[in-house]
Amino acid sequence: MEYQKAAELNGLCNGKIVTEYLCRNGFSELTVDTKKVAVQHKNETSRKEAEDESRLPALEAAYTTILRGLGENTDRQGLLKTPLRAAKAMQFLTKGYHETIYDVLNDAIFDEDHEELVIVKDIDMFSLCEHHLVPFFGKVHIGYLPSKKVVGLSKLARIVEIYSRRLQVQERLTKQIAMAISEALQPVGVAVVIEAAHMCMVMRGVQKMNSRTVTSAMLGVFREDPKAREEFLALTKSA
Amino acid sequence: MERPKQKQVNQSENETDAAINGHFDGRVKMPGWRAGGAAGDPSTVPSSSVMESWREERTRSLEDNEMSLPSIAAAYTTILRGLGEDPQRQGLLKTPWRAATAMQFFTKGYQEKIIDVLNDAIFDEDHDEMVIVKDIDMFSMCEHHLVPIFGRVHIGYLPNKRVLGLSKLARIVEIYSRRLQVQERLTKQIAVAITEALQPAGVGVVVEATHMCMVMRGVQKMNSKTVTSTMLGVFREDPKTRDEFLTLIRS
Repeated sequence: MEYQKAAELNGLCNGKIVTEYLCRNGFSELTVDTKKVAVQHKNETSRKEAEDESRLPALEAAYTTILRGLGENTDRQGLLKTPLRAAKAMQFLTKGYHETIYDVLNDAIFDEDHEELVIVKDIDMFSLCEHHLVPFFGKVHIGYLPSKKVVGLSKLARIVEIYSRRLQVQERLTKQIAMAISEALQPVGVAVVIEAAHMCMVMRGVQKMNSRTVTSAMLGVFREDPKAREEFLALTKSA
Repeated sequence: MERPKQKQVNQSENETDAAINGHFDGRVKMPGWRAGGAAGDPSTVPSSSVMESWREERTRSLEDNEMSLPSIAAAYTTILRGLGEDPQRQGLLKTPWRAATAMQFFTKGYQEKIIDVLNDAIFDEDHDEMVIVKDIDMFSMCEHHLVPIFGRVHIGYLPNKRVLGLSKLARIVEIYSRRLQVQERLTKQIAVAITEALQPAGVGVVVEATHMCMVMRGVQKMNSKTVTSTMLGVFREDPKTRDEFLTLIRS
C-alpha cells in the first residue's frame, strides 16, 4: 500500500521544483508511510528484526516450493539449507523497507557557509528489479548545491542504500534519492545520475551483455541552469 | 532430435541414452522426479557419495515447466508478501509470473542433454595442436543463495584426431551453467563433458566469476573474483602444455 502511494507521489512531483509545498508535503507523507509501525526509531529497528524472523518460515517454504518446481532435489547436500539462506538473502536485499531517512540523517546536517557544488560519485548500488526479482547494479553519482546546510558525505551513500535495497524501478530509485536529499537539506539544487546494468536484460530476455541504463534526476538549479548541470556532468564523467 | 517427454520416458529410453549429464556410462535416470521433488535415488550408482550425485541426470521437459509454473508463481507471491510488499500494486501485479519464468530460464540447463547438443558436430581432423575458445560469458545461479553468478569461461583442449564444433563448447557451458551451481562443480562438469565426448589428449577449463552472493550481501566485496580450473589429461601432467594454455588465455 505504502509503496503504491510512493509511486503515485513520485508521479505527482514530476516537473515540480523541490521547494513547492505539494512536493514537500507529499514527500514527508512518503517518509511517514515508510515507518511501518511506531514513532520511536529505536523500538522500530528491533521490531523489524523480530518481524523478519517471524516471516522467515513462510519465505523458506516458498523457496522450497520453487526449488521443487524447478526440478531440483531439495534433499541433496548443497540444497539442504538453501531455502533458509535464500530467504535471509532476500530479506537483506530488501532491508531498505525498514529504514527511514530520519534514522540516517538526523544528526549529520551541519551549517556551513558553502555554496559550491558538492559531489559524491561512484557510489556502488545494488538493487532488485521489481518485475523479475533479479538484481540490477551500478553506480550512483550525487551532486548538490548547498544552501547553508551541508550533509555528512557518507549519508548520501546511506540514502542510496535505503532506497536501493528494495524492489525497485531505476527511474523511481533516482527520483527518490533526489527527493530525499531535497527534503532533508533544502538545497539550491540536487542532481542524481544512476548508471546500471540490469541482469534481467543481461542474463535472460534480450541477453545484451554490455548494455547499461542511465537515468537522472535534476531538481532546482540543476534543472533550470544548464551551466550548473554541465559542471555536474563534466565532473562525474571524468574517468 | 526430439526431447523425450517426462511422462512417457521409460527406463528403456534411458538405457539406450548414451550420455547422461555428459557422462557416457549409461547410468539409469532416476524416476518420478516430479513427485515431491526429485528423489535422486541413483539406482545403478555404485557409491552415493557427494561427488557422484551431480552425475545424475535431471531432465525436465517444457511440459513440466508449464505444469509447475503456477506453483512457482504462487511461491513468489508468498515471498513478496513475506518481504512486506503489496503484490497488488501495479509494478508487482505480474511479477510472480515473470519471476517464475525467469527462474525457469535460469535453470534451463536441466532441460537439455549433452548428447542433443554434440551429436552432429564431432569431426575427424588430423589436428593435434591446442584449440582454445576463451571469454565465453557465463551466467549461473548460486545454489546456496539463489543469487546470480556471472563471469567468463576459457576452454582449451588438445584434440586426438577428433575436433568439436567451436560453438558446441559454448553450448556445453550453457547447459551446465544454467543450473543451480557451485563454481567448482561447474568447472569439472564442463571438463568431463568434453573429455567424454571427444577423448582428447587433454582438456583445460578455467572459470573466472563474480558471485553476487558475496558482492550484494554477506561480506560485500565488490571487486572480488573467484577463479577455478580443471586440468585433465596432458594438461594435468605436462606443465608446459598447461603454461601455454594459461598464457594464451591471459593475452
